[in-house]
Amino acid sequence: MRESIVITGVGVVTPLGKDPREVLRRVEAGESAAAPSGFGAGMFACPVCARVKDFDAREYVAEAKMVRLMNRDAQLAVAAARLALRDAGLQVGQDYASEDIGLFGATGLVGLPLGEVLPLIKASVGADGGFDPRSFGEAGLRAVSPILSFKILSNMPVCFVSICENIQGPNAIYTPWEGQGAQAIEAGLHALEGGDARCALVGGCDVKTHELAFIGLEQQGIFESWRASPSPPSGERAGVRGHSDHSCERRAGVVPGEGAGFLVLEKEADAAARGARIYARVAGFNLGTRRKEQGRAGAFAEVLKGMGDWPIPLRDLRASAVQSQADETAEARRSQRTRLVAAIVAASNGDPVAERDEERALFSLGIAADTVIHPKKHAGDLFAAAAALQVGLAAVLAERCGGRVLANCFGHGSEQAAFLLEKP
Amino acid sequence: MKQRVVITGLGLCTPVGGGAEEFWRNLLAGRSGVGPVTLFDASSLPVRIGGEVKGFSLARVAEKFPEADGEQDRKIWLGLEAASQAVEEAGLSREMLAGAPLFVGVSLETFFLENVAPVAQADDAVRALVQQVLARPHAGRLQTPLDRTSQLLGDHYGFARGRYTNCSACAAGAQVIGEAFRRLRGGAAEVALAGATDSVLNPLGLGGFSLLHILSTENEEPTRACRPFDATRQGTVLSEGAAFVVLETLDHAQRRGARAYAEVVGYGSSLDAFRVTDPEPNGRGAALSMTRALADAGLRPEEIDSVNAHGTGTPKNDVAETLAIKQALGARAGEIPVTANKSMTGHMIAASGAVEAVASALTLATGKIPPTINWGQPDPQCDLDYVAEGCRDFAGRTVLSNSFGFGGQNATLIFRRIEP
Repeated sequence: MRESIVITGVGVVTPLGKDPREVLRRVEAGESAAAPSGFGAGMFACPVCARVKDFDAREYVAEAKMVRLMNRDAQLAVAAARLALRDAGLQVGQDYASEDIGLFGATGLVGLPLGEVLPLIKASVGADGGFDPRSFGEAGLRAVSPILSFKILSNMPVCFVSICENIQGPNAIYTPWEGQGAQAIEAGLHALEGGDARCALVGGCDVKTHELAFIGLEQQGIFESWRASPSPPSGERAGVRGHSDHSCERRAGVVPGEGAGFLVLEKEADAAARGARIYARVAGFNLGTRRKEQGRAGAFAEVLKGMGDWPIPLRDLRASAVQSQADETAEARRSQRTRLVAAIVAASNGDPVAERDEERALFSLGIAADTVIHPKKHAGDLFAAAAALQVGLAAVLAERCGGRVLANCFGHGSEQAAFLLEKP
Repeated sequence: MKQRVVITGLGLCTPVGGGAEEFWRNLLAGRSGVGPVTLFDASSLPVRIGGEVKGFSLARVAEKFPEADGEQDRKIWLGLEAASQAVEEAGLSREMLAGAPLFVGVSLETFFLENVAPVAQADDAVRALVQQVLARPHAGRLQTPLDRTSQLLGDHYGFARGRYTNCSACAAGAQVIGEAFRRLRGGAAEVALAGATDSVLNPLGLGGFSLLHILSTENEEPTRACRPFDATRQGTVLSEGAAFVVLETLDHAQRRGARAYAEVVGYGSSLDAFRVTDPEPNGRGAALSMTRALADAGLRPEEIDSVNAHGTGTPKNDVAETLAIKQALGARAGEIPVTANKSMTGHMIAASGAVEAVASALTLATGKIPPTINWGQPDPQCDLDYVAEGCRDFAGRTVLSNSFGFGGQNATLIFRRIEP
């Protein structure tokens, strides 16, 4: 990277809390936010989800009227953005002009609760029991709020952030998975590198804790690993199963979560000039596309390999059988191929196959760490918000460890990413 | 070193024509693509008009993209058709596509109410809905993820350098071209496909927007319903469409002898940070977007020769945009032609910015500016030259194109004539 860019603020609203250090502590302690979803008992392959508790958007938004315009994903986004700016000690309009701050975010599938849509659908059923456009116009539309359009526009959560924080700079919004969340972070890095912005707020939000979201995830096949599990568990233990043990058969699958994360990015020189606390410098990042014919492990490895700027120069990929992580690391160390980082924020989300692919990719490149954490297994998978959470926790880890920390953003969809952070 | 970036392929599906040739002919002739909505029974809605893509053959597109079989979302099909036109016209090889990033703009997810209505009356509607979804995963779908077009195009053509799905509402079409332009200019790739697709002409789309009171309700005169910058304008008209462009570095295009329509020279974006319901009334955010694009292009305001306006025909937008153009271009604002394609196409939401980028490129390539139709009564607050008398010859070198989105996102692109 030409310009040294640092992370100076981390704001998260997650099922494991709103303070990134506290979230990290709870992840490391093995706590889980998974709990019975409370809906659709026995219908969905996944019986649990991870919800944000004790959240009131009015703590972050001055106008009650504006809160009513927001979906829950927008409320979470506004809160996380506020927390990130507060964490950075940054005053919009003072430290940087509003138009010099970029805003790049990611949003997930539309987060309308089924309860808001069902009245409309029920009122639109015709005499034959099917959808009747005439009934829709005559009765269906009256059954919903006029602000429905603002709730189904995917850009709204990020626009609410701009309004609440008076951010007027360059912007873009991506959708709908973790890879697109990583693209938002990438866009912020590019905006700073290219001189388009002096500071960037980057992140994402998502809510996958209601029936409609579960239906969407079922359609996407994301619950398949729950179905494949020999004895799907339920309740609070679900999210901690299978921790780093690829031979374990107790694992269940993805725990859908809700939350938001935003990061404050600044040029290192600017951050230093205003006396900001610096969590980490972005030492490298890479985004890759998983091709149709490509295996997941190969795609992950390609992303990691393309990141460059590793502690030890990369050598060629070599195929390897999956052994235990400890054996692999020892073997790699012996052959002096190890690329040691202080910590890895792993992408594993409870899907055992995806986890094995990630381990295989890390091993194939000899990447190892003393500390490996799996936030998604504990806080739930936040999808469009996951990249911001992964990188945010990596920043906190980098500050604590003082070394390089790898954050993998390997999620659903074709787009995959990884970020390498280091304490300056 | 910054690379110069040119447009070498165009693809369009719009209410005024499919394909660049038909689109441009009709736009220059001032033909409106707005009419009564026929895609579904809109007779009970307050707004019953829209800009539909006519004569669109799903079967023909399905022959090219058999993997899209079963997709119900119309914007996916429009996008596939427009993108394939652009790729074919540019004559890109498989290897070139594999090294290219893909940028797709979209706005709203489409909800297939017809899929779920039959089970909505069940005692436990949620259970019935889930059972239907699980039993018929494809046919029972309630919504399609917004990245579906990117996935289909990406897999079909083998795009492997990043697939970006931008959902910046009405600014998305311009943003994706701007982002692609920046990547190529910075040397990250030599070729990119960028464009946007949208169709909100479905019950929830048209019905939902009609609740916001930004649409014209002049159902009896559909072709006159959208009147950007006219004193009697009542609102915009929703429509559907898609447009894609192939962008290439000039070096790459010249090496392979590709035809270039226009050069992309500047991109800027900004946020109003005002209200989700209204544009900032003084045009502050929109002006900032234009100013940023000018700076990005290294151009002075007086070097802009024409504006392709966002021009929705809503009372608030057109005043704010007029003010913004004056702020950004200064004294020159009153001297240059400002045209509003939406007077003919209607508002294609995410796709509008991409369609208007194509119109801007064609203006430079053909030396013609399409008119703003339906303008007849001057609004003292909208006092620029809106090309109301009909298509106009154009000898200028630059066109600036604006796109402003719901929620306050603004994007501006600047194009320059390819000098012989």
